[in-house]
Amino acid sequence: MAKNESTRPDTARFIAHGTILRRLSPLATVLVLLLAWHWITDWRLVSRILIPPPAAVLEAFTQAMVDGTLARHTTTTLGEMMVGLLFGVSVGLAIGYAIAKAPLLEYILSPVIVGFQSTPIVAYAPLLIIIFGTGPSSKVVTTAVIVFFPTLVNTIVGIRGVSPRLRDLMRSLNAGRWQVLLKLELPSALPVLLAGLKTSTTLAVIGAVVGEFVGSGSGLGVLVISARSQYDTPLVYVTVLTMTAIALSLYSLVALVEWRVLDWQRRSA
Amino acid sequence: MFKLIRIISLFALLSAWICSAQAPLAEERILLTFVPNVQFAPFYVGIEKGFFAKAGFDVRLEHLQEPEVLDLVAVRQADFGVVSGEQVILARSRGRDVVYIFEWFQQYPVALVHSDALKLTDLEQLRGLKVGIPGRFGANYSGLTTLLSSAGLSESDIEVNEIGFNAAEVVCLGAVDAAMVYANNEPLQIRDRAAAGDCGDITDVEVITVASQVDLVSNGLIVSRSLLEAAPDSATAMALALKEALQFSINNPAAAYLASLRHVDTLPGDESLIAELEAVAERQAQFLAAKPDRAGVAESRAELLRQLAEQFDASVLTQFQVLLNTIELWDADQLGVSALASWEAMRDTLALMGFLGGELGDLSDAFSNEYVLGGSE
Amino acid sequence: MRLSLQGVEVGYPAPSGAYLPALGPISFDVADDEFVCLVGPSGCGKSTLIRVLAGLLPPTAGTAYCGDELINRPLPQTAIMFQDTNLMPWRTVLDNIALPLEIVGATKTERFRIVRELLPQLNLEGFEFAYPAELSGGMAQRVALGRVILQQPRIWLLDEPFGALDALTREKLSLELLRLRGRSQQTIVLVTHDISEAVLLADRIIVISRRPGTLAADIDIDLPRPRSADMIYQPGFLRLAKQVRACIEDLRD
Repeated sequence: MAKNESTRPDTARFIAHGTILRRLSPLATVLVLLLAWHWITDWRLVSRILIPPPAAVLEAFTQAMVDGTLARHTTTTLGEMMVGLLFGVSVGLAIGYAIAKAPLLEYILSPVIVGFQSTPIVAYAPLLIIIFGTGPSSKVVTTAVIVFFPTLVNTIVGIRGVSPRLRDLMRSLNAGRWQVLLKLELPSALPVLLAGLKTSTTLAVIGAVVGEFVGSGSGLGVLVISARSQYDTPLVYVTVLTMTAIALSLYSLVALVEWRVLDWQRRSA
Repeated sequence: MFKLIRIISLFALLSAWICSAQAPLAEERILLTFVPNVQFAPFYVGIEKGFFAKAGFDVRLEHLQEPEVLDLVAVRQADFGVVSGEQVILARSRGRDVVYIFEWFQQYPVALVHSDALKLTDLEQLRGLKVGIPGRFGANYSGLTTLLSSAGLSESDIEVNEIGFNAAEVVCLGAVDAAMVYANNEPLQIRDRAAAGDCGDITDVEVITVASQVDLVSNGLIVSRSLLEAAPDSATAMALALKEALQFSINNPAAAYLASLRHVDTLPGDESLIAELEAVAERQAQFLAAKPDRAGVAESRAELLRQLAEQFDASVLTQFQVLLNTIELWDADQLGVSALASWEAMRDTLALMGFLGGELGDLSDAFSNEYVLGGSE
Repeated sequence: MRLSLQGVEVGYPAPSGAYLPALGPISFDVADDEFVCLVGPSGCGKSTLIRVLAGLLPPTAGTAYCGDELINRPLPQTAIMFQDTNLMPWRTVLDNIALPLEIVGATKTERFRIVRELLPQLNLEGFEFAYPAELSGGMAQRVALGRVILQQPRIWLLDEPFGALDALTREKLSLELLRLRGRSQQTIVLVTHDISEAVLLADRIIVISRRPGTLAADIDIDLPRPRSADMIYQPGFLRLAKQVRACIEDLRD
């Protein structure tokens, strides 16, 4: 039963959710991994050439922060990702919505969509670089392409999952197209759409970095290659961990948004 | 009880017999870069013509990226690798104790390619032009830096475009004025496309090799210091086997091409070409029996291409021509030997690029000609 | 406002291509301010009929009128209440009830005020910010009822609105419906499978035959108003209930 007062979702509750033990357990995992990493290199179980010690990675991180290398490349990659996400998600939403509404479109577009989706982006990224040039625009394209599919599929699933009875209700209330979209279809599909967005954010990192691997002047993908080509393994680790951090932050950001706007789902559970 | 002993001793005898019957070949991985390609012909010749087996090796070839090749050799997960000399310097400055024991490419393989319409007579004319390179790493970047510095220019005097390994497409699209490429391969590709009218406005290209300006140490065989300490004979045997295979490839390119067919899936080789190459290789072997000098052999190679061109389409012969072009980069009076000056030139180039991160130490530790000269110095 | 059905028929194409009749042909009128209950065996097309009246389903043949207006789309003077509560799970009680006001563009403060005034009548005070899943079945049904009331319809189309509830709650809600209706007279068409509910509420009961449903009987319920729960034990009530039951039972063989 609901409480009498209005309970608003807030960020504090998101973080405070669960017991202290549960909140600390991911930290503990990271700590154990760090210790294992330290010991593996300290006892020379693996050559330091292959796995540098954590201290060396920390040093490389400080160095890359101080001289601005990391910030510069991260900015490039983040920029490409954000614009790519914006494009890929908008186009995915639009086409997904159209397909959900007109099943005939699915038959027409499915060869293209299935073909694109089942081809690894690494294989055709060089072609995109040739077509869209070596600047940021080609990375925006690789990112957009890679985030397009989860968005598309989730949009179709979400919009097709809207209750036909609620559609009847909206019709009986003489609701307009936009009202149906904003007051019924969007909120109804939102859980699925946000799940898709979470997948998309992690894929966006892959899209941008794959594009940078193929040919670019700046970005974390370039930093990995150039650090690797200079045998600066600690810097390679710093860069890879930065990518992880970006993916995790974006994922958490969407999770936070999800927590806030899907309060009803939690309370309905 | 007796029966058991008999069976056991029988087994012991049998296994001893099997061991002694087979000449024990040490399984060796040689780590190469890029992908299987006719440019690796000496290694295919080494396997197919038994040069490696004669030296006691059962060789497997694997292809990886340069830094991976180097690190795996450095930690002795593989005994032998083939990388460019600059990688040896870079890696040594970051604590990898690897030694370069055989210079395979006598000439640095990288060159600047540009449309002949541009008419570059002097590198100084590059000022302000757009130059494509795969990225700010590897041999292409070192080559560009060396070319620029030899002309008194620096990177800021030109516009560098990072285009990945797509030089042929990008040059044909006219997106860059010039591009750094491998001298033996891309210029041919672009010329073929231009001849087919598939290269924009470009009808032919000019090539300026890095080697024509500066002697830079190039690709060669590397081993780890610990291998040299533990098994110096193995290093000597491999260096000498590779030298023989390389000399064979230089002398008889048709035979080298045939040896490559089994290793390179994409290499053109229909029955008529194979039949003709076999005939050519046979004639070349007879010619070589007369012990011609280096110039004579070089002349015979040019003649060989002329003969083949009469019977086959240029497109079928492209890879054979790549092999001939590459042989020019290998050929030298003394195979396998690298000069300290070429190492110093490379070090200076790397310093110019700001790539030397750590302590390099003594450059003469980076390479040794001792092994290719037969272990006696 | 009067409802009029003239030879209404609804059918669907079967996968084989043949025509599958679901309803009709059926003709009847519902007078202004009349309360009509539709009863009949399950699958007879009662819900289909309600959807035709609501303008959600165009009849395959025949016509349906509301007053002088042909029903070919949902008309603003009619409101429909569905079989289940059909609430939006992501909206609070307040926002669910206010949906019709939102569609016509009422401001947020206006909506809040109007719903707040309605909540006591619906016995939902204090639950304005609860989500549908947090409500009992009866409460959720009252939210749906509130949503219909807010539309201020002249014609109420109720498709087994209390079907999923237990007998006591259903009876209570039925009488509440009568009470809410009491103030201003409206035309009501209610689909039910519960005979005593029909007799208790209706001015007239229309019995529909098995699929495809046609008019099987048209019974006037001349019990006095206002009606109360006690009436179900009176002889007059029992006689009418028996009569309706007989009609329905005649339809089975």
